[in-house]
Amino acid sequence: MLQYVVRRLLYSSVVLIAASFLVFVFVAKGAGDPLAPYYLAPNIDKEGLERIAEAKHLNENVFVRYAYWVRDAVTNQFGTTLLTNEPILPDLWRVMKNTLQLVVVAELLAILFAVAIGVYSALRQYSVFDYTATTFSFLGLATPVFWLALMLQVAVVQIYLHTGHRIFPVANLNSVDPGSGLSFVLDRAHHLVLPVLVLMVASIASYSRYMRASMLEVINSDYVRTARAKGLPESKVTMKHAFRNALIPLVTLVALNFGALLGGAIVTETVFSLDGMGLYFVNALNVADPYPVMAWLMITATMIIVFNLIADIAYGFLDPRVRYE
Amino acid sequence: MAEPVLSIRDLTVEFDTEDGVVKAVTDVSYDLYPGEVLGIVGESGSGKSVSMLTVLGLIPQPPGRVVRGEAIFEGEDLLKAPAGRLREIRGGKIAMIFQDPMTSLNPVFTIGDQIAEALLVHNPGMEEEEARRRTLELLELVGVPFAERRVDQYPHEFSGGMRQRAMIAMAIANQPKVLIADEPTTALDVTIQAQIVEVIKAAQRETNAAIVLITHDLGLIAELADRVVVMYAGRVVELADVFTIFNSPRHPYTIGLMSSLARLDADQERLEPIPGQPPSLISLPPGCAFHPRCIHSQGREICRTEVPVLRSLPGEGDHVSACHFAEELVARDVRVGATSGGGA
Repeated sequence: MLQYVVRRLLYSSVVLIAASFLVFVFVAKGAGDPLAPYYLAPNIDKEGLERIAEAKHLNENVFVRYAYWVRDAVTNQFGTTLLTNEPILPDLWRVMKNTLQLVVVAELLAILFAVAIGVYSALRQYSVFDYTATTFSFLGLATPVFWLALMLQVAVVQIYLHTGHRIFPVANLNSVDPGSGLSFVLDRAHHLVLPVLVLMVASIASYSRYMRASMLEVINSDYVRTARAKGLPESKVTMKHAFRNALIPLVTLVALNFGALLGGAIVTETVFSLDGMGLYFVNALNVADPYPVMAWLMITATMIIVFNLIADIAYGFLDPRVRYE
Repeated sequence: MAEPVLSIRDLTVEFDTEDGVVKAVTDVSYDLYPGEVLGIVGESGSGKSVSMLTVLGLIPQPPGRVVRGEAIFEGEDLLKAPAGRLREIRGGKIAMIFQDPMTSLNPVFTIGDQIAEALLVHNPGMEEEEARRRTLELLELVGVPFAERRVDQYPHEFSGGMRQRAMIAMAIANQPKVLIADEPTTALDVTIQAQIVEVIKAAQRETNAAIVLITHDLGLIAELADRVVVMYAGRVVELADVFTIFNSPRHPYTIGLMSSLARLDADQERLEPIPGQPPSLISLPPGCAFHPRCIHSQGREICRTEVPVLRSLPGEGDHVSACHFAEELVARDVRVGATSGGGA
């Protein structure tokens, strides 16, 4: 098992290195010269720009620049930003922590609801509940995230305009003066309600469909009939024999999705201007600064690789037929 | 004869489907006596399994529906028994072995857990240790070698034959009065089939259960059964002891089955099939459901208009047949060696 994990991590590091090089080339070449807009501005000191270009080796070829980036990434915590020369890692830790809060809360709630909805739908297939859940799932899947986020903001603002009550904040992670201790936590939670809701809708919609489908498959299987023929009570038949088998495909899906979401819920974070990974990435891309983009990429790719591995390991725990040598 | 342990009368089960009502079994009646092996033969879809699954409350309702009939077990009609009572009986006094051991065991629990579960659910107060000890005994009884080690293995670590042994161990865990074996050897290869037959015999010796053997394998019937129920299109068409069924069948369908067997004692160029296809259970032919395929009907009116009732044949004891012209079939010699293998 340990050997398997180590081997997987070794394979993954190769993938990571290849990915870092490709993305570096794309950003460095594709986005053009990040300093170009400033050369055109009349009131900017040209010598300063040249000093930056010199210090960041912008005039070297892309392989040399990549080599410098690797050196910075390894020895200097991903280096500094291009224009402002700020260290990258502290910013990245901050946005990661924020994204983690958002995603963990949203996904945990989504799993809870989705599993309950999926199982109940399957056990009462073609009931009113099942049809209702199905309809809302398809609605949830079909609704664009940005639209839902905007509509929620509009609704909350309308309520404020009509009643004078601010039920939820529509932007940012905290109030201007959030206080500290418990009042800070409550303020943060209050701000996270709408973004969490938006993320949950899409997750519940897809997870509950998966759960329903896999539960349906399992409750019609021969071994569930065997469990019934044994004289087990129906609750044990479904919750022990069927549920554990039905959970297996969902675990993989959730783990993979979770890894990807840690890269930032880009649309949600942008609409609600949340200081998270997604917004950080979008901002770095806008100024064509390869260094924060690269740092973001390495963290995100690592997350995806780690959660892929977690998905496989979880699979092995749930399904004894899967064993890693 | 002794009192029957299970007595099924006029059992009629239908399934509602999008294409129409499937008449899975119609007016099925038979008795099961203590200690005997009752074979139920017929083609796929002839209703062999449905009657037994219905008795145990294992058909999904809906779409399934018991239209009429009763199934008396120890003085109690199982078709009217509440769900909780049926659950006590399932796996307790009436246990079942299923067709495909590859899919009938839960892949995520160990063999031992699954057998012990059958013990624990029917013996409240039994200690886990006691259940484990008994599980080991059962595995040894059905011939699983190294039971001590294999008890903690998962189904995927067992071969097909070993899994079926484990299924049998699970079924006889609570000393059932009735053991239903639904195509117990169909999914296994021939050498393993012979071993499983021995295990079933051993299981019967151990528990003295009456066995209902549902199969389309006439070789297996010849090997194990004492009496045979022949089913066609959801009805019982013939019922007799195993020698009578093989030596002097009195229903054209049974005769067709026997003629289509490969025989070791005769020089046969080709097997003789029954012409035509089994009818759709949604739109059965009028009259006798077998008449379109019957070589004895010969266009006779009554075969197309009247459903033949199951009646005992004069001078033949318990032999019953549902053919209008059962007596005409006496002369025909269709003797088949009782040891011949091969399926129907």
